[in-house]
Amino acid sequence: MRGRLLGSRRGRRALDGLDQDIRDHIERETQDNIERGMTPEEARRRAMLAFGSVALAKEDARRVWVWAWLDQARQDLRYAARTLRRSRTFVTAAAATLALAIAANTTMFSVLNAVLLRPLPYRTPEQLAMLWTEDPTQNLREGRSALWNVEQWRSQSQSFADMAVFDAVSLTLTGTEGAEQIVGARISPNLLPLIGVQPALGRGFSIEEAEQRQRLALISHRFWQARFGGSNDAIGATIVLNGLPSQIIGVLPADFQIATLDADVWEPQMMSTGVRGGDTWFVIGRLRPNVTFDHAQAEMAAVARRVNDQLPAAERNRGISVVPLSLQMVGSQSRLGLWMLGGAVLCVFLIAAANVASLSLARSVVRAREMAVRAALGASAGRIVRQLLTEGILLATVSGLIGTLLAFVGIRLIRAFGPANLPRLNEVSLDLRVLGCAVAISLLAGILVGLAPAITTLRRDLRLSGEEGGRSVAGGAATRRLRRALVVAEFALAIILLVGAGLLVRSWWSVKSIDPGFRPERVLVMELSSPTTFSVAAQRTDLYHRVLEQIQAVPRVESAGIIGDLFIGNTREQVLTVEGDGGTVSERLRFRRDEVSADFFKTLGTPLLRGRFFSIGDGPDAPRVAIINDAMARRSWPGRDPVGRRFKLGPRDSDRPWYTVVGVVADMRRQGLEREPVPQIFESLAQNPPRSVDLFIRTSTEDPLTMAGALRAAVRRVEKHAPIYGVATLEEQLGTYLTQRRFQTSLLTGFSLVALLMAAVGICGLIQYSVATRTHEIGLRMAVGAQASDILRMIIGEGLMLSVTGLAIGLVGAWWLGRAGSSLLFGVSATDPLTFMTVSLLLTAVAVAACYFPARRATTVDPIVALRVT
Amino acid sequence: MSTKRGRDRIELLQGTLDLLILRTLRLGPAHGHAIAKAIEYGSDSVLQVEQGSLYPALHRLIKRGWITFDDGTSENKRRAKFYYLTAKGRRQLHIETSKWDKLARAIGRILRPAIQE
Repeated sequence: MRGRLLGSRRGRRALDGLDQDIRDHIERETQDNIERGMTPEEARRRAMLAFGSVALAKEDARRVWVWAWLDQARQDLRYAARTLRRSRTFVTAAAATLALAIAANTTMFSVLNAVLLRPLPYRTPEQLAMLWTEDPTQNLREGRSALWNVEQWRSQSQSFADMAVFDAVSLTLTGTEGAEQIVGARISPNLLPLIGVQPALGRGFSIEEAEQRQRLALISHRFWQARFGGSNDAIGATIVLNGLPSQIIGVLPADFQIATLDADVWEPQMMSTGVRGGDTWFVIGRLRPNVTFDHAQAEMAAVARRVNDQLPAAERNRGISVVPLSLQMVGSQSRLGLWMLGGAVLCVFLIAAANVASLSLARSVVRAREMAVRAALGASAGRIVRQLLTEGILLATVSGLIGTLLAFVGIRLIRAFGPANLPRLNEVSLDLRVLGCAVAISLLAGILVGLAPAITTLRRDLRLSGEEGGRSVAGGAATRRLRRALVVAEFALAIILLVGAGLLVRSWWSVKSIDPGFRPERVLVMELSSPTTFSVAAQRTDLYHRVLEQIQAVPRVESAGIIGDLFIGNTREQVLTVEGDGGTVSERLRFRRDEVSADFFKTLGTPLLRGRFFSIGDGPDAPRVAIINDAMARRSWPGRDPVGRRFKLGPRDSDRPWYTVVGVVADMRRQGLEREPVPQIFESLAQNPPRSVDLFIRTSTEDPLTMAGALRAAVRRVEKHAPIYGVATLEEQLGTYLTQRRFQTSLLTGFSLVALLMAAVGICGLIQYSVATRTHEIGLRMAVGAQASDILRMIIGEGLMLSVTGLAIGLVGAWWLGRAGSSLLFGVSATDPLTFMTVSLLLTAVAVAACYFPARRATTVDPIVALRVT
Repeated sequence: MSTKRGRDRIELLQGTLDLLILRTLRLGPAHGHAIAKAIEYGSDSVLQVEQGSLYPALHRLIKRGWITFDDGTSENKRRAKFYYLTAKGRRQLHIETSKWDKLARAIGRILRPAIQE
């Protein structure tokens, strides 16, 4: 190993046979001694003694040839370590600042790397795209598609090598312990080959099996571990899904998901059914090699026009949108948010580096003497620069190590508390690329930190002059200017972060103050499925009725209600025929239709605007009735009272029954707080009971989860085979829509406060230093009559000028960046004057406070003492 | 601790030992053991060279280009490295010798009054 460090060929030749040389040497000495009459043993002992340590001789001879710079580097390093050990305050402050900044950067970029940069776990994922049905006239974007349409696209498109479909389904799994609800998926048999994923065990579906509708299933790795203990016996085993047996033929790899769909059981679905079917399928396609998304999009637009000719008139405006899968998985909003956080954390790092560089600069002035002495003793300028760089890099390495350790912790925290709806967050880990990034950042910091004093040291020409050696090392004008510039930059960056955080905090308040249209406090949510044998509607109606009865009898339950599904994802557009003033009108409309029990609105606290709620009289045999929301009322009967009006699903001539509107309720934000409510129609549960429902129980306890057991038991008393799952509080469920925003807001706020603190520390240090070097001047001023308040004003004024300069630069930057990130805001403009003003005042106040302490010290200068020491 | 003191001694000896080696080799090529013996005898055994320190010194001199070596056979038919002066080494010997003289004279001047006391 050491041999490799040896410099020259000459050295290798000289060292070659060194062992032999030394052995020969001792041998000769022994011979000499024997000739002088010693016994051979004594002769040898004396010879060894005279030679001394063989190992040391060899070591020293070798060391002669070791690269000189390596030796010097070791010296530098030892010297740097000694210097840093001596100035403990500086090292602690600098290393802590850098370590925190490095940790924050590493953590954030680990997240960016996993969520945005790392390729998806499929074969050539950059060729994969999602295909959506869209209809501009219906305001439909990213709509699902019907199998017949997909079949047309597939046969007519040249850009795509293949297309596959999938959809999530809810399945009832019946096992030995009773029935439970699991997440399933239906996939076309070509899906796995298309994305390039092989089952970890067993095989995938064949096209024939899908066409013959064989009851086969693939299971997730998780399901395999939980149900079969990872045994190979799983293949060929039978599970009962929705009451029918299915045979397991394969196990998917661990963590497998398609886009964001993560299911436990995957069933085959044939692609061509001959009938059009519903618009219920997600479509994924693989581009042919060298085909761009733009090209595919252009071609699919043409395909859409051809397909439209074969569709009913109402659907002839349809288009197809092609979205790269990676963009689909992490939407542009999340991407923007993450990049924003990445940029913010980089700002924090820059401020930290500026602070550390500023600290080093202050030190360099103090150390000017030491450097001058070293130069006088023969150290070259290059050598001194290298020495300073070594110090910087050593400091950065230590900080980098601590920072990396902290980043491990940070990544764990983010994985645990990050927004659950941010895809791929579970993949976040400290990987080598990120580690390399951290190391690069640390070294960059080291070079920055080291270079700053090196430059000023060189500027000072390394003179050991009398006036510099003494007290008045006022630290050359260059150093001062550089440190001032650093402080200004720190404040500029800090205000940008503060403005961003301020805007997000205001957005958060706007979102929080939105009325969701219901009162989520103290409400428990449970999902309930009717047993698979309850195929008759009356059975389910009866079941739900009795379940509600039992639940309402449980102590501390105030009321209970049922809806098909409270929170909704994408809404579909359907044809609706409405009786208006000018006769009946049919139109395609995006709306949502659900079934609710009589007490549902009362339970959720949604106010009734007109008419009445459902009652026990709205049973299966009574006339069909509906309650609509305000948005629907405004849309279909603008300016009119909708109560008593009628509508029906489907076109004018459809044979669906007419519904009579009996009530209008306030809008509920069922797609998350930030989305405008869509028109909603509610039917009576008794008239159309779905297979599975959401149960809402308003309780009188602050922690409704404690009642889950009692409520479960109540349901079980009614029907043992009705699975209950997804127990949560309504506030919790509503909160999941806010996690991403909360994540962004809290992180950016945290970063900006750290930035503010660092900027404050930076300006405090600068002013303190400035006061220390101006003691003489201040003493003089006081001697000629300046009051303490004048001095205070002068010193604070100096700091204020710097912070206000930074503020002005930063505000321009914030204004410019704010517009780029305005889509992350809600209910507040990117140039919100209140936010800009508040954070400006905050920053100025912090700057004044940071300058106050050193300024106070300046006023305590005793003019006599200050003037005497000249 | 002890190694540190040992190193300090080499540092102290370094210049002197180098000078003695160069001086010895002016008389002609020699192998390591012969150099050690020559220094020992030449100084009437006053200077006891720790023989092990000879080798790092030889390598240092080779590296500086003041001496070089050839593989040869010693008087008793043994293979050995024979070291000899280069032209550069000869010049260096001259410089080092006059430096030494100056140093010795200077130290002598300082010490003599003390001795007289």
